[in-house]
Amino acid sequence: MATRNRTSQFSKYRDTLNGNRVPVTSSSAFGGPVIEMAPLFHRSNGSSYAPLSTEDPGPSSRDAFTVGLSPDWVDVSEEVASSIQRVRIKMAELVKAHAKALTPSFGDSREDQHMIEALTQEITVLLRRSEKSLQKLSARGPSEDSNIRKNVQRSLATDLQNLSVELRKKQSTYLRHLRKQKEGHDGLDLEMNLNESKHRVEDEEFTDQGFNEHQMGTLKKSELFAAEREREIRQVLQSVNEIAQIMKDLSVLVIDQGTIVDRIDYNVQNVASSVEEGFKELKKAERTQRKGGMVTCATVLVIMCFVMLVLLVLKEILF
Amino acid sequence: MVLASAVREYINRMLQDISGMKVLILDSHTVSIVSVVYSQSELLQKEVFLVELVDSISLSKEPMSHLKAVYFLRPISENIQYMKRQLASPRFGEYHLFFSNILNNTQLHILADSDEREVVQQVQEFYADFVAIDPFHFTLNATSNFMYMLPAVVDPPKLQHFCDRVVDGLAAIFLALKRRPVIRYSGTSDIAKRIAQEATKLMYQQESGLFDFRRTEISPLLLVIDRRDDPVTPLLNQWTYQAMVHELIGIQDNKVDLKNIGKVSKEQQEVVLSSEQDAFFKANMYENFGDIGMSIKRMVDEFQQVAKSNQNIQTIEDMAKFVDNYPEYRKMQGNVSKHVTLVTEMSKIVEERKLMLISQTEQELACNGGQGAAFEAVTNLLNNESVTDVDRLRLVMLYALRYEKDSPVQLMQLFNKLASRSPKYKPGLVQFLLKQAGVDKRTGDLYGNRDLLNIARNMARGLKGVENVYTQHQPLLFQIMESITKGRLRDVDYPFVGNHFQQARPQDVVIFIVGGTTYEESRSVAIQNATNSGIRFILGGSALVNSKRSFLKDLEEAQRVARSSTSVI
Repeated sequence: MATRNRTSQFSKYRDTLNGNRVPVTSSSAFGGPVIEMAPLFHRSNGSSYAPLSTEDPGPSSRDAFTVGLSPDWVDVSEEVASSIQRVRIKMAELVKAHAKALTPSFGDSREDQHMIEALTQEITVLLRRSEKSLQKLSARGPSEDSNIRKNVQRSLATDLQNLSVELRKKQSTYLRHLRKQKEGHDGLDLEMNLNESKHRVEDEEFTDQGFNEHQMGTLKKSELFAAEREREIRQVLQSVNEIAQIMKDLSVLVIDQGTIVDRIDYNVQNVASSVEEGFKELKKAERTQRKGGMVTCATVLVIMCFVMLVLLVLKEILF
Repeated sequence: MVLASAVREYINRMLQDISGMKVLILDSHTVSIVSVVYSQSELLQKEVFLVELVDSISLSKEPMSHLKAVYFLRPISENIQYMKRQLASPRFGEYHLFFSNILNNTQLHILADSDEREVVQQVQEFYADFVAIDPFHFTLNATSNFMYMLPAVVDPPKLQHFCDRVVDGLAAIFLALKRRPVIRYSGTSDIAKRIAQEATKLMYQQESGLFDFRRTEISPLLLVIDRRDDPVTPLLNQWTYQAMVHELIGIQDNKVDLKNIGKVSKEQQEVVLSSEQDAFFKANMYENFGDIGMSIKRMVDEFQQVAKSNQNIQTIEDMAKFVDNYPEYRKMQGNVSKHVTLVTEMSKIVEERKLMLISQTEQELACNGGQGAAFEAVTNLLNNESVTDVDRLRLVMLYALRYEKDSPVQLMQLFNKLASRSPKYKPGLVQFLLKQAGVDKRTGDLYGNRDLLNIARNMARGLKGVENVYTQHQPLLFQIMESITKGRLRDVDYPFVGNHFQQARPQDVVIFIVGGTTYEESRSVAIQNATNSGIRFILGGSALVNSKRSFLKDLEEAQRVARSSTSVI
């Protein structure tokens, strides 16, 4: 696939032409425009949300250039991006914890459960918080800025959505394994019970009580175990529901791939028409505000109150 | 695939080295070029958070220096003017300029001159100057497409503009493929000859350095032919899915606009029909209408089953599974409604316009049948009240094209009948068509009745019978491809430009139809490519033609301009 770089030729022309031109203002002492350094944020997957061009590769004669502060919604988007990063790290930890909890060991399972619960809770909270902040990004009124915000919102929403889906998948696999284990244990218990009852039938007299005790002990243990597993399953299901709720909320923002909304030309058309409409709306709003129906109403009421007060005072004085 | 992937690769390279939030600025042509291969969500992943057109972005004055601007424009004078103004008062932090074709030095000077603040970081030529709609099919969406029908004296600058656009598009194709072709053209067509010669001059003389690629043994072939060599294909009614949608409703850049067609739900007012993104469409785009109905019914049944199981949610587990599969379910639902809507609307149109009846006669006129029977059939249909004007016109045109020389009396009768019944169509349009694309003007054997071999072949086909009366027509393109495959494309009919010549069979062939391609022809190309004959065919045109909206409109425009110019002169 052929390409051709005309940059060097362009720079040559530009330099000759700029050399001939009288410089607009003397080049600034800093050697560059005053750019407000917004915090640079790098995502470990390669892309970065650097909102400003902090590097200044070209020759420095852009002094009169109006420098823009990055708008504050960019901070919100960065916050969400960093939360997404944290969620990713936590998910990796969760996977490890799941694996550890599934390895059969009776004693420490309480600890593992706590860890899994804590991690899942953290992740869900992060996701929910990010989703709420995402709502803050939407701006009212069509303008170029609002389109950018909408698009940033969509991009982050897609990432959040994918993370939620991943989390759900991991949870369902964990659930499945748990269930298998529980059944396995029940099956084992059943077998044990059968054996015990067989023995019981055989050795009734001497060993009756002993076996009963033993049997009771194992029964209790397996009951506790089953109850515990039951609780775990319920908790996991609960977090599954929460995630489902988050996903539902996000699905409004995420673009359906392959549909007309995912087409660039469709979005460009809408931008063009909505920017025009936005202008009209803004003008209309300005006009109505100036007429200020509300303002006149309020002033009339205040005057009335004042009049009534005066009348009241007069009434008191005269009578 | 190769065309679409080339364009995608260009766009990827534009965006990948630029970090941070970007705004992508396109013009009315490049927006089509980009939209058919790249989706909005993919742009978002590359941190492009705003896409605008170059003319509307100059309206706003709000500076946004936290964004970097990536411009992808065609190197035409209007765009250079816009750029000049926007560089003089820059709004964005950085400017990266990409042009879809060759910039000349004057344009580069103008840009350099206006870049006082030195905001431009790079200026590159990325040759994505064509719309890659299907794997082996591209179009140029040329404006004033009708100019190809007019002689050069009528409007020389406009014709030059059209030729330049075509030559630019062809150059871009070969630069994207990194090959330099041998060029042949349709002998009887002046415009094909002109375009072939100008393309040769560009590739071998003016920019020979740019086109100097590693020479493989066999150069690819570029064959430039004229739409008027085969005026029958765009006039016929179509019965295979993609071609039918374009003929009855209209596809533009793989989008279908259903707003004016009938009562459709809000979500289905505009839909996307792309073989890359829609697996059902990919499997069915070349199937005929009857088979489509069956496939859609099967798809709907499958969907209903899934929907039913989704309604039957009893345990929390079921709900979890439902939420898991919800995105898939939604996608499936959207797809099913889209295809059902399309087929329903098309069935309605077929019913209203009695297209099955008309199409039978059309196919007879195009493929076989005797003159007498044809005359009778056409007369009956002309007398039929429920036939629309456009269909009447098409029938008479098809008859005229075939039986131009036989029985002029009957032909005149048909003209009169048409004129009396269809006041909308200006008289003489059929005669104009004959003047443009009559038997004397065409290269190649459109009806298979010139060459003995073709006559014999036709007789054999007639004896064998056809599977489907409605799809028996094969465009002339099919014969051309066959001749190329067998190495039998005659020099007399399709001469080489200059002193090019080709020893062996080429492995890559680009066929360009000046005046536009039809979806029926792209279907032939796809089917031909699937036979793995060792040759890969790519089809392209200056526009995408269907009967009413493009071909007849072009004819009318050309006739109007021709008339007004003769009245001036």
